[in-house]
Amino acid sequence: MSFLGIGGNQQGSSNGGVNRDKMELATEQLDMITDVYNRLVDSCHSKCISQRYTEGDLNKGESVCVDRCVAKFFEVNKKVGEKLQSIGPNAGGGGMGG
Amino acid sequence: MALPMVAPVFPAGREPLPPGISEEERQQMEQMKKWQNVMTSGMESCVVKTAIAGGGGFALGGLFSLMQASFAYEDPILRQQAQAGWSQKQKAAEVFKEMGRNMWRSGKGFGKVGALFAGIECVIESYRARNDMVNPVAAGFVAGGILARNSGPKAVLGGGLAFAAFSAAIDLFLRRETPEED
Repeated sequence: MSFLGIGGNQQGSSNGGVNRDKMELATEQLDMITDVYNRLVDSCHSKCISQRYTEGDLNKGESVCVDRCVAKFFEVNKKVGEKLQSIGPNAGGGGMGG
Repeated sequence: MALPMVAPVFPAGREPLPPGISEEERQQMEQMKKWQNVMTSGMESCVVKTAIAGGGGFALGGLFSLMQASFAYEDPILRQQAQAGWSQKQKAAEVFKEMGRNMWRSGKGFGKVGALFAGIECVIESYRARNDMVNPVAAGFVAGGILARNSGPKAVLGGGLAFAAFSAAIDLFLRRETPEED
């Protein structure tokens, strides 16, 4: 996750064309990160937090579960990415557009 | 948390400041947050929970023994023989020493029970990553078994079952549906 797009947008206000490209890139990156974040929060919340709320804080069991859930999510992401990479860059490029 | 519904991801060191904190105090705020996190995660850790339960059990045992001392009966003739010729001060000191010994013994017992149960329950909960009724029942069973380890296998089983039932009752009470507080 590079923040070159987001962080570097403060400058470059002089050259309009390049700025727009960088803006596009940054927006796309933010959208992707937001999508991953929302999926992660939804998935781990549905798996780990019970439906009965007796207090606002997380129990020990729930916080351990959320830690494990986030770690597993990123592991799965990484593994699937590696497999996609090994299948071939074409399959990866086609899949990313959709 | 600048924009709503967007991932709270910011470049390192440029996260938004909470209201009322200036840029210069960011370092201090980070430090304070770090120590607060250490405190909360420490309080939730198994070791600290075991220590707190053990300490609480020790205090409770001491208190029980103190109450019990006022109801204790004893043999005045035996005491007369053992304490022949003691002054009033010595007799009074002996009473307090006996009370202290009993408090220590009772406190140790209760402390062991509390620490065992809390520690085992915390370990089981960390392993299962779930918070439900199974944890206290299983922890009660194991703790009861450990406490009765010197009395043979039937006592281990019986003690485990009894402690499991007791801890199930307590946790059912603690997890009961409370009436709406409107």
